[in-house]
This record gives sequence, structure tokens and C-alpha cells, in this order.
Amino acid sequence: MGLGRYLLRKALWYIAALFVALLLNFLLPRLIPGNPVDALVGKLAQGGAGSDQLQTIYEHYVKEFGLDKPMWEQFLVYLQNTFTGNLGTSFMQYPASVNKLIGDALPWSLAIQLPAVIIGWLVGNLLGAVAAFKGGWFDRGAFVGSLFLSSMPYYCLAILLLFGFAVWQPVFPQGRAYSIGLTPEFSMPFFMDAISYWWLPFWSLVLIFIGGQAVGMRSMAIYELGSDYVNYGRGLGMRDSQMVRYIFRNAMLPQITGLALSLGGLVGGALITELVFNYPGMGSLLFTAISANDYPVIQAITLIITVTVLVANFAVEVLYGLIDPRIRATQGGDKS
Amino acid sequence: MTKRLLEAKQVTAAYHTPDGREVRAVDNVSVFVNEGEILGCAGESGCGKSTLGNVLALTARPPLYPISGTLNIDGQVLELGQNNKVPRTWRGSVVSMLPQGALNSLSPTAKIRGLVVDVLKSHGTKLSKDECLDLARDRMKNLGLPTRALDSYPHQLSGGMKQRVITVISTLLNPRLLIADEPTSALDVSSQRALVEMLREMLNQDIMKGVIFITHDLPLLKTISDRVAIMYAGQIVEVANSEDIAERPRHPYSKALLNAVLAPEEDTLAKRVEGIKGSPPSLAKPPSGCRFHPRCGLAMDICTQVMPRAQGNELQFAKCHWSQQHPHEPIRIEDVLRRNDEIEAPVLIKKEA
Repeated sequence: MGLGRYLLRKALWYIAALFVALLLNFLLPRLIPGNPVDALVGKLAQGGAGSDQLQTIYEHYVKEFGLDKPMWEQFLVYLQNTFTGNLGTSFMQYPASVNKLIGDALPWSLAIQLPAVIIGWLVGNLLGAVAAFKGGWFDRGAFVGSLFLSSMPYYCLAILLLFGFAVWQPVFPQGRAYSIGLTPEFSMPFFMDAISYWWLPFWSLVLIFIGGQAVGMRSMAIYELGSDYVNYGRGLGMRDSQMVRYIFRNAMLPQITGLALSLGGLVGGALITELVFNYPGMGSLLFTAISANDYPVIQAITLIITVTVLVANFAVEVLYGLIDPRIRATQGGDKS
Repeated sequence: MTKRLLEAKQVTAAYHTPDGREVRAVDNVSVFVNEGEILGCAGESGCGKSTLGNVLALTARPPLYPISGTLNIDGQVLELGQNNKVPRTWRGSVVSMLPQGALNSLSPTAKIRGLVVDVLKSHGTKLSKDECLDLARDRMKNLGLPTRALDSYPHQLSGGMKQRVITVISTLLNPRLLIADEPTSALDVSSQRALVEMLREMLNQDIMKGVIFITHDLPLLKTISDRVAIMYAGQIVEVANSEDIAERPRHPYSKALLNAVLAPEEDTLAKRVEGIKGSPPSLAKPPSGCRFHPRCGLAMDICTQVMPRAQGNELQFAKCHWSQQHPHEPIRIEDVLRRNDEIEAPVLIKKEA
């Protein structure tokens, strides 16, 4: 009962947040100065088309994209399309559908980020907890290293890695996700080719993530180590391994938020990392779309980011409720 | 003939300060507890009573280091020393600690039952999970506690209930000796009473054989303990039966400490309460001779130079030159506080000129 009511309340809040996000999603790209059709037609004009033709083409596009309709009607169409899973047609890469563009880009972003976030989170937390528990030189080394990594801008590390391992010592290829001439397919040769491109962006993300998580976990664990219940547990003669379980469960709480937010944000792509490595992920797609005023693509990507961040946050709330009984009690109104 | 439960001889423990010095918070202290006895331990803040509790409960951890001393708990002997390892399973089964439950002595994310099982398992019990819980349930029933507390999280229990539950957990393994470090400090009087009665009941049921009860609540000590030890500046200055110490203290510090407490008796209204001025000395540089002499109105020349020896036996003694020279004369509070006018009250907050 307690948990059910807690989840229902949370779910309602998230649905409300989603609607606000949808509205902003629709409005914000349209506030960028400039009309995308102007840019599109401008390109044709350079090709030497006559002004009458241009006028016809212009009107055709405006009609095609629904830009002649009033804002509120555009919004309704947008809502309807969104809920039927149709993200629209790209202005710039007309007539490619946004669904297809995202379908092409998303796997690459996930491929570098999902392992980076999960491995980084596990290794980082483990490192932080062990450093706190062991102390001494191991702690000092791990702490300074983590602090250095976590405070370094991630694109700096990306550039350094690119320079070090692709230019200076060309161990890995420079940029792109697979060799020119290959087409993405599920086959061993393609996989082996792609993985050589995958290492550098992966390392540039995972190292930073390990550092950030380790620093956070270390200070949480040190705090918990000095707490009264640890003292009491020792006074009762409990084993270290048992105490570590108690410490972990409490120190883990803020770390889970970090994990969920990273997981939620990863569909948005690691924008600059993808630019540095010329990786064809969501970050690169979003970047080109913004510079070309490509409303449907921008909207679609921001929508997907919004939804995944909301879902990830919701998952955190559920997890928090499961892990920390105090939160369940206050949120669900359960006071037994 | 009552059996001796605890013999702690010449226990010394020190805190290591960051600048490399050693502060002896417990200096050459010997404590004895008989079976079935509750020994109270009182003193001002910073006098070393909690440090003594930690050392006796074997829970000292950096920066606190036991330096020397011998513990004999119910026939089991342990030499204290900076590098001497304490067998882990002694904690909780030979000697156990009862902390102040209002502090976060229970992990907020674990149910009580989890801790119960973990405590028993960590001491190599052969009982299954359910049997462990049955044991705790029986215990709680015998002591009149609701067994549903086992299925609760700490935040769902009241302060008094939390303290009683912690008491049950501390004594699950039938420790010989229980070190209770200010367990009543954050409780209202009715919860205090319930806890004190519960401790007595547990002694009667032979769950543990003796208790050292550390507190600065002197009236409570009088009701709960058989004997009281008064600590000052890292040393025990007097030990006596609790009635004796209330009526005939043999150390001027005990007299002054007890005088500072209001007991609701007939003459309370007329009584003028005056404390001892000044504060306990820094343990980094304790005074020579009797450590109380800078604040004592009865201090003589010898007090500034020679540390007084214990007068009496190991269960009841006082360390005071004046008492030694005036064996039958009661200590008068006016005499002890005679020097209050010359002692400057400690400046706690410095005002900017």
C-alpha cells in the first residue's frame, strides 16, 4: 500500500512534467531566429533556379512542413504525431524521416556511452569505497588520481587521447565510427573494424566517469565509516564484511542518482566527444540540426532526452523507495 | 562471598594528537566490578569516563590508543597495549557496549531483524535465521517489549523504544559485562526509568553479570548503581557505595559535584547551589600532585606536589590528602568552594576589544 501510493503520486508528477517539457520542446526551436525554409530555398537559389520557381518551391515546403498553419494548430499536429510515434521529416535532409536519422545515430551513442557509464559507475564506486576503507597510500593515490580525472574537462581528455594514440602513436584510427567503404551490418569483420574506432571515445568518457564517481563514493563512505552505527557494530563484534554492507547501502543513495541521470542523459550523446572523434552519434546529429534550424530533428532529440531523463528519474525514485525506508514513509504518508 | 567479575588494573589510554603529542585521557585507572553489580561512573565532561568506557568495551579506535593495563573479565585475561589485537568475538560476547540510542546507532536503511541476525551470525552461531529471530523475540517478550519492533526500521521507533531495542541487541550474546555509555541521556524521565528497570531485570535474569553505567546524571546514578566511581581529569578519585557517596563523600570533588545537583528534598528550597569555579585541567598538561588541587579549597602544600594514594580497599576508596589526615571529619562544602573567589571563571568566548 505504502509503496503503491508513493509510486502513483510520483507518476502523476512525472506526467505533468512531461507535458510542460513537450510544450517547451515545441516552442523553443521556433524561437530561434530564421526560418528553416529560407535556408533550404536559399541553397536552391545558389543552384540557379528562377525566382518564380523559388516562390513555388518555398510555398510548397511551407505547406509540406505545416508552417503556414497557426502555432496552436502546429502544436496539436505535433502532439498527435508524437503520440503516434511519428517524429516528422527532416528539413535539411528532406525527405529523410527523423525516425530513420535517429535510428541510425542512436546505436552509436549508446555503444560508446552505455558501457562507459555502467563500467565507470561500478569501477568508480568500488574504487572510492575501497580507498575509503583501506586508507593510507592506496587512498591517497586513488583520491588524487580521481580528483584529477574528474576535474578535467572531458573534451580535453578526448583531445589528448586522440593526439596521443591516434596521431602521435597511431594505435587507433582517427575519428569516425568505422572505415570508409563499409556499411553498418551485423558481421564479425564490421564489428572488428568498428571496435578499433570505439576504444578512444570510450576511454575518454569512462576515465572521467570513474574519477567523478570515485571521489563522490569515497567521501560518502568516509562519512559513513565514522558514523555511530559503524562504531556500534564494531562494539558488537561484527565482521568487517558485514559492516561494509551496511555502509554501502547508506553511501550508495546519492550515487544512484548520479547513475540514473547519466543513463538518462546518454541518449543525448556525448556532444563534444562525438564532435572530437567525428563519431556519428546523437550528439553530432543534434549539433548539425541546431546549426541548420532543423526543427523536427531538434525537437525529436530533445523529446527523447526529456523522456529518458524523466524515466531515469522515476526509476531513481522507485529505487530510493526500495532502498531507503524513510523516503517511502514520508512520501507515501505511511507512518506505522 | 561475591565473585569478582571485572578486574581492570592500571589501565592507561591516550589520544594521539595531530601534532604528535599524547593526551592521556585515562591515566592509571583500576576498576573492579563484582557479579550482579552495577557500577556507576560519573564526572564532568572531558574527565575521561567515556574514554574509559571505550577502552573497557574494547572499542577504542584511532586516535584513541590503549597503552597499558590488564583486563580480567570473568576469568578471561587481556593485556592492553597499543599493538595488542583484541579478539573480535570478545566484543559483544565477553564485553558489550550499550551506546546512546538517540544517536544513529542503528543504520537507517536496515530493519532491526537484520541487525539481530548479523550480530548472532558474526559470532558463529549455528542457529538458522528464524531461530535467531526467535531468540530475540523471546528476549523481548520476557522484558515486556513489543516484538513487532523487530520488523521495524529505526525511524519507526520512538526514542525510548529504540534505546530498549538497542539494549536487547547489545545483550543478545549474553555478555559478561555491559558498558552502558550514557544510555539515558536523551530520554525523558519515564523512558529513563523503563530502561533502568529493564537493566535491573536483565541482571536478575542473568543475561549479563555486571554493568558499568556511565552518565553525568547523578540522581539517576544514585537509584541505579550499587557503587559509584567519580572521575576527575582521567583518574578515579573516589569509589564508594552509592548511599555513602551521597551522604559521606571522602573526596572534595565528589562533594562539590554532588552539591551541584538539586534533589527534590525538604531543604532544597533553602539550599544555595554553587558550582566549582574553573574547569577541568587540560589532560595534555595535568597539574602536579592531586589533579584537583588548583580548584580545591582544602588544598594543602602536599597536594600540589604528591599524588594522593588511595585510602580504603579496591572497592571503596578515596584519593585525598585531606581525607587521609581527617579520617572521621565530613567534608564541608563551604570549605571546598572557599577558593571560588580567586579562581577566574573560564573565558569561553573572547570578546573583541
